[in-house]
Amino acid sequence: MKRALGLALALMVATGSAAGQKSAKPAAAPGAIVLRGGRILTVSHGVIENGAVVMENGKITAVGAAGSVAVPKGAQIVDVRGMTVYPGLIDSESRLGLTEISAEQMTNDYIEPSDEIFPHLHVWEAFHAESQLIPVTRVNGITNAIVAAGETDTLPGQSSFIQLEGQSAKDMLLVRDIALPLNFTGEQRRNDSWEKAKFPFTRMGVAAQLRQAFIDARDYQRKWADYEKKKSEPPQEEKKDDKKDEKKGPPTPPKRDLKLEALVPYLDGKKPIVLAAEEPGDIETALELAKEFNLRVILNHVEHANKLLDMIAASKLPVIIGPIYARPKEGERYDSVYRMPAELQKRGVKLAFASYDAHQSRNLPYAAGYAVAFGLPYDEALKAITLNAAEIWGLGDQLGSLDVGKTANVVVATGDPLDPKTDVKQVYIQGRAVSMETRQTRLRDQYMK
Amino acid sequence: MRQVIRAWACLAVTALLAGGMASAQSQAPSVGHNEVLIRNGTILTVTHGTIKNGSVYIKDGKIAAVGANVTAPPSAKVIDATGKFVMPGIIDAHSHIALRDDINEATSPVTPHMMMLDAFDYTDRNIYYTLAGGVTTSLLLHGSANMVGGQSIVIKHKYGLGRDQLLFPSAPRSIKFASGENPKRVYGSRQQLPSTRMGNFAVQRQALAEAQDYMREWEQYDAKVKGGDKDAKPPKRDLKLEALADLMRGKMFVHNHCYRADEFLTEIAMAKEFGYTLRSFEHALEAYKVADQIAAAGIGISTFADWWGYKEEAWDAIPWNAVIAMRHGVNVAIKSDSDDFARRLNQEAAKTIRYGGATEDEALKMVTLNAAWNVGVQDRVGSLDVGKDADITIWNAHPLSIYALVDMVLIDGDVFFDRSLPGLGTPYYKEGQ
Repeated sequence: MKRALGLALALMVATGSAAGQKSAKPAAAPGAIVLRGGRILTVSHGVIENGAVVMENGKITAVGAAGSVAVPKGAQIVDVRGMTVYPGLIDSESRLGLTEISAEQMTNDYIEPSDEIFPHLHVWEAFHAESQLIPVTRVNGITNAIVAAGETDTLPGQSSFIQLEGQSAKDMLLVRDIALPLNFTGEQRRNDSWEKAKFPFTRMGVAAQLRQAFIDARDYQRKWADYEKKKSEPPQEEKKDDKKDEKKGPPTPPKRDLKLEALVPYLDGKKPIVLAAEEPGDIETALELAKEFNLRVILNHVEHANKLLDMIAASKLPVIIGPIYARPKEGERYDSVYRMPAELQKRGVKLAFASYDAHQSRNLPYAAGYAVAFGLPYDEALKAITLNAAEIWGLGDQLGSLDVGKTANVVVATGDPLDPKTDVKQVYIQGRAVSMETRQTRLRDQYMK
Repeated sequence: MRQVIRAWACLAVTALLAGGMASAQSQAPSVGHNEVLIRNGTILTVTHGTIKNGSVYIKDGKIAAVGANVTAPPSAKVIDATGKFVMPGIIDAHSHIALRDDINEATSPVTPHMMMLDAFDYTDRNIYYTLAGGVTTSLLLHGSANMVGGQSIVIKHKYGLGRDQLLFPSAPRSIKFASGENPKRVYGSRQQLPSTRMGNFAVQRQALAEAQDYMREWEQYDAKVKGGDKDAKPPKRDLKLEALADLMRGKMFVHNHCYRADEFLTEIAMAKEFGYTLRSFEHALEAYKVADQIAAAGIGISTFADWWGYKEEAWDAIPWNAVIAMRHGVNVAIKSDSDDFARRLNQEAAKTIRYGGATEDEALKMVTLNAAWNVGVQDRVGSLDVGKDADITIWNAHPLSIYALVDMVLIDGDVFFDRSLPGLGTPYYKEGQ
């Protein structure tokens, strides 16, 4: 009986995945859609006035002047004259799907407070695809986002890259474990009070704990490598003076340790560490630590790094900058943080913006817009929430610009995407017009009569 | 490294205190120029439209003329606003800055005798940051831990001057009330009354009833004295009840923190029962559900543009709230309740254009004149009209644009922020002096 049930389950899983594959096939894909007559912000190759974008089978198949683009047979033509068309926006750090009502702890799944080192946590295992926050964010043109755990743990768990539309979490989680945040902002210290004090109470403690974790992971990696090597070696001839019988058998595998195992791909540089630090001292300490273990780094925050601008530029590391709304340090001018994106970009740093939020993720483009007010070139601001973000996350060939062959994540809006007065009219994800209805529009419609 | 920073920070603080004391001692109000002409800008009056290539003439800290053809004596200091936008100073109708985190006396649900002035830190840097965002007036409120909180102060952002010079002269007295989750959470977590909304309102009603009795005792005493009774003994003074008595005597009004539709109606009924004035609902995220009733009661709302979901009673918040309520006749202000958002209330106002189709004037009013009404200073500030205080901001682009920056802020006709100046851009506050 038990076995039969197991078999049935296995079958179900098999058909399930087959169905999943099928839905990605062209047969089930939406028909061709042509957005014609709008102002097209391609991001990668300038602005096309009176342009057209063709979407077929979930991909962008043509971008150009409205008159020159061939309309596929049977395509739905959408008149977007007077509208601005741009690629779906990418939020480089959000808590989407990890919280619903902030003050209700049972709806929060973004931080595990009992320890600091949690590389074996995966946010995709908590990601709530049905969160009401996702449509609210999506209808403002945000089509993709990093979902990251909270920042009060040093290694809070691995982040996922999502698409803000899908039947289930499976459809939405484009990359399950895309990166590991490493937070070194001082917030990870357990120094709330003398009564509740625990290690690490200081930055020295945080750094030591982190260093030990990576050293342990390296040892662990070596142990497994030794084991794999032994396993693959042909059984040795029995030596005459060997008295121990147990050496003859196959080697015993080391005990698995999920924490250390999770760190291995990061030690190998296969995936990036998102290194969060705010103060100059913390940035230098954390970068040294990353160097010590050859970690691949994306810098995060650095909003008070005024003294390290050239050093950051020289490192060639990409930066998720912000929040630019962080308050200046004592003695600094009111705009010292607002100016950071412009100062870094001027020095050649590749930037991305993040909402660092869930409910307010929809306001991501306005941070980019405000950075323009303080000197960031407009095109660079737009890139920082589209193409730069896609490239930083290793998805530059699929997302972030209106180019042939890329995923058809396209936004149609009444104007400038970076200005809060602009209304988003339609969002397309994988070439489909997504529903523009949200919990909030339903309440509006109910009471606006 | 850290030690150096700390030493430096200490110096800065000392300098700050010294500077503050010096200006407090030099009693005389700071007068830069008593006549100022802001010329050739786009004037966003808020009350009577936009004047292209217009001017504002300021005399003795007041707006003396606004229009396309304004003349000023040659002695007036001229501020060239060519290519710039001139609007009234922004008014933040709900703020907790400059209170050194002493926002909630969360030890009893009824604390009407708390005076925010006693916690006021006029050297708080947030006064500067928000000034640089165009804010000239803020209402500093008690928090929402208590059903009956403390008494507010209204400040002008004259950063660099002494404490009393930052207080808005003769602003009306007001008191903060709160309903819903916050008092419930604070006292409920201690197994105290109130732990429910029933408890909340019972506590509020009990306090008001006691204050009514107290008022009566004093009225009886006053009558005795008036009647020549020399042996009449005055009742014992009670600061708590005295504050609530002042409320019911009409000497103050209430800013009532309130989220849920049903609670607006209960609070309106309570105000009627005890005869005090509800001036504004704070947050008021469900105002759109009962906008007619709020409008009929003559109560304003100070709300967020698009905050939502941070707690259960904010779950039904929608970004169209402000405009729906406005269309039903409610006086709507967009406020910050945040030392962050206070720096860019113009951007929050701009969201009402997108969510509900407010006009530019309507959007600007939500952070100027409407906010002034909720605070009770609408006759003094909130628009560019003759006779009002010369609290004026000058922008390098239309203030409802995300790309707009504040170039200059004048308060009572005096420049308190000028972006073109080196350092902090604050003529009255000099770093390190």
